[in-house]
Amino acid sequence: MARMKFLCDAERCIECNGCVTACKNENEVPWGVNRRRVVTLNDGVVGAEKSISVACMHCSDAPCMAVCPVDCFYRTDDGVVLHDKDLCIGCGYCFYACPFGAPQFPQAGAFGLRGKMDKCTFCAGGPEPDRSEVEFKKYGRNRLSEGKLPACAEMCSTKALLGGDGDVIADIYRERVLRRGRGSEVWGWSTAYGLPPKPGAQPPVQQQQPAPTSGKS
Amino acid sequence: MTASNRSLQWREKVIDPLFESRTDQMIMYELAQKLGFADQFLGKKDGKQNLRLVKVKGRDEPSMEDTLRNEVNKGCWTIGYTGQSPERLQAHMRNQHVFDVKTLRARGGKDAKTGYDLTGDYYGLPWPCYGSAAIKHPGSPNLYDTSKHPMDGGMTFRALFGVEKDGVNLLAEDGIANKGSDITTGYPQFDHVLLKKLGWWDELTDEEKKEAEGKTWANDLSGGIQRVAMKHGCCPFGNAKARAVVWNFPDPIPQHREPLYSPRPDLVEKYPTHDDVKVFWRLPTLFKSVQQKAVKDEMHKKYPLILTSGRIVEYEGGGEETRSNPWLAELQQDCYAEINPKTAADRSIRNGEYVWLSTPTGAKLKVKAKVTEGIGPDTIFVPFHFSGWWQGEDMLPFYPDGSAPIVRGEAVNTATTYGYDRVTMMQESKTTLCQVAKA
Ligand code: SF4
Ligand code: SF4
Ligand code: SF4
Repeated sequence: MARMKFLCDAERCIECNGCVTACKNENEVPWGVNRRRVVTLNDGVVGAEKSISVACMHCSDAPCMAVCPVDCFYRTDDGVVLHDKDLCIGCGYCFYACPFGAPQFPQAGAFGLRGKMDKCTFCAGGPEPDRSEVEFKKYGRNRLSEGKLPACAEMCSTKALLGGDGDVIADIYRERVLRRGRGSEVWGWSTAYGLPPKPGAQPPVQQQQPAPTSGKS
Repeated sequence: MTASNRSLQWREKVIDPLFESRTDQMIMYELAQKLGFADQFLGKKDGKQNLRLVKVKGRDEPSMEDTLRNEVNKGCWTIGYTGQSPERLQAHMRNQHVFDVKTLRARGGKDAKTGYDLTGDYYGLPWPCYGSAAIKHPGSPNLYDTSKHPMDGGMTFRALFGVEKDGVNLLAEDGIANKGSDITTGYPQFDHVLLKKLGWWDELTDEEKKEAEGKTWANDLSGGIQRVAMKHGCCPFGNAKARAVVWNFPDPIPQHREPLYSPRPDLVEKYPTHDDVKVFWRLPTLFKSVQQKAVKDEMHKKYPLILTSGRIVEYEGGGEETRSNPWLAELQQDCYAEINPKTAADRSIRNGEYVWLSTPTGAKLKVKAKVTEGIGPDTIFVPFHFSGWWQGEDMLPFYPDGSAPIVRGEAVNTATTYGYDRVTMMQESKTTLCQVAKA
């Protein structure tokens, strides 16, 4: 089974927000909820400005999943971290736990009451039947079930944002790094994927995924 | 369809227009009928007809093939849209595989349907493609390329401005000509006289001679002058130098002139703008008097920063449409001014606060401060995609119900000053003066 991953190549991202807009449009995400954001560091500083596009990283050992008091998260066969909005109590604990600020909360009602958590689904919907209307309403489009890749990565004009089978993405990125002779350090490759790639190195060995369970990890 | 490399593609219709809608050419023909010149529209004359009619959705429309062949190809002798006949373009579409993806050129190949030999054609016959379709000019993959024969897509600079100016030769110098050219120096545009002088006249057919007599390459409808010139490796439009001195512009060679509102009076003195013009496209137009008044009034002291405006990626044009789209509007919810950290610090402005931006017109705009290293300390940038605010006030109540864009903001062009470029008539929206202050 493919292990789905995102990678945003900071050497390529031009902060166009095309990915953000594609996500909003594909999944009809309400105003104020941002499944994906583009972060720019050192804005305007020549040579030091870098942008990366961030969403849920679909962590292997997901902190959100670990802390959720109602255990609403689950991992799909593709390694995508999803959650069940019917179980979610909107407590916001996952937001504190997530290193990427991925979980989002709509402002529902008075007193700043939190609605159900919403986050990037890797365009893979939720626990409802694939491509059903109720799934779309709650979680957005289920592109993976249609054999498509995430809308954000597909939209990216510079192909900075890559989304899909982690092995394939690692190959593409490795080739880029070799070609330009640098780059992996910018993104923190070693943190995300182990040691930086060396010429002739084999793709990183895949971690054994826990057997898929229905709804729980 | 023309692509950005000037290649043309013949596109087939995908569906007939839906419901009661009609094709453009149908509408044009029916309009011509109503206005009483349908025969002229179809080019009916002496029992012949330029445009045949074809039936679409049970109605008549002029054939697109005829329109290209008998209107566009026939009417474009001077601009190189004559060789791209529908038959050639259709053959290209059917045989895309024979064209080299790097050079665009067909190394060989015959169209199975028509037997048309594709050898040597560049894909889509990139503009310009001279002469009649029959002589098979291959199209021009690169402009002004003298390293190729004109019949291989080579080209010179047009002799468009005469042959000499103030005693200086405007034609190409000796040795500058297309590969294989029988004339190895500059030459003027071809006409019947030149062809006769060169002794090439008799290479025209009798038919062509009849049409070409007294004509130039541009209005000889037989295409013979173009054909013979190119056969000899010459471009029908002459062989001249690229013109760097444009004597009919106010500045024959571009030179720096300070904007009307300049931050530097010393530079105004050194590089003043144009004199006022009494009749400029019928209007008296001020240049220098505005600039000098700005210096005299010391505008650069009251407004010490340069104001420039431009685009941002989220919005388009005036922004009404894009600011009405929730996905885009969310990305940029306020009109803003980019301010360098030093400029901001000197004025105690913090990132994200409102500031007043004022200019010599007396306008005051209330915009958010975006403090960034991306702009120099002497300049302020404001995007021009906003409107709906007027001098600090949201004009929402004045929009008809439901028509207001989601995001509104000050329109920077309410603050830019008078002035425009004399040649392009482009308004001066990139260099004026301003001041910013904490709101
Ligand atoms: S679409 Fe691509 S280039 Fe544009 S902001 Fe997103 S990741 Fe960067
Ligand atoms: S929400 Fe955060 S912690 Fe959970 S999988 Fe996504 S990135 Fe990891
Ligand atoms: S994968 Fe889908 S849901 Fe996630 S950020 Fe991209 S477009 Fe949005």
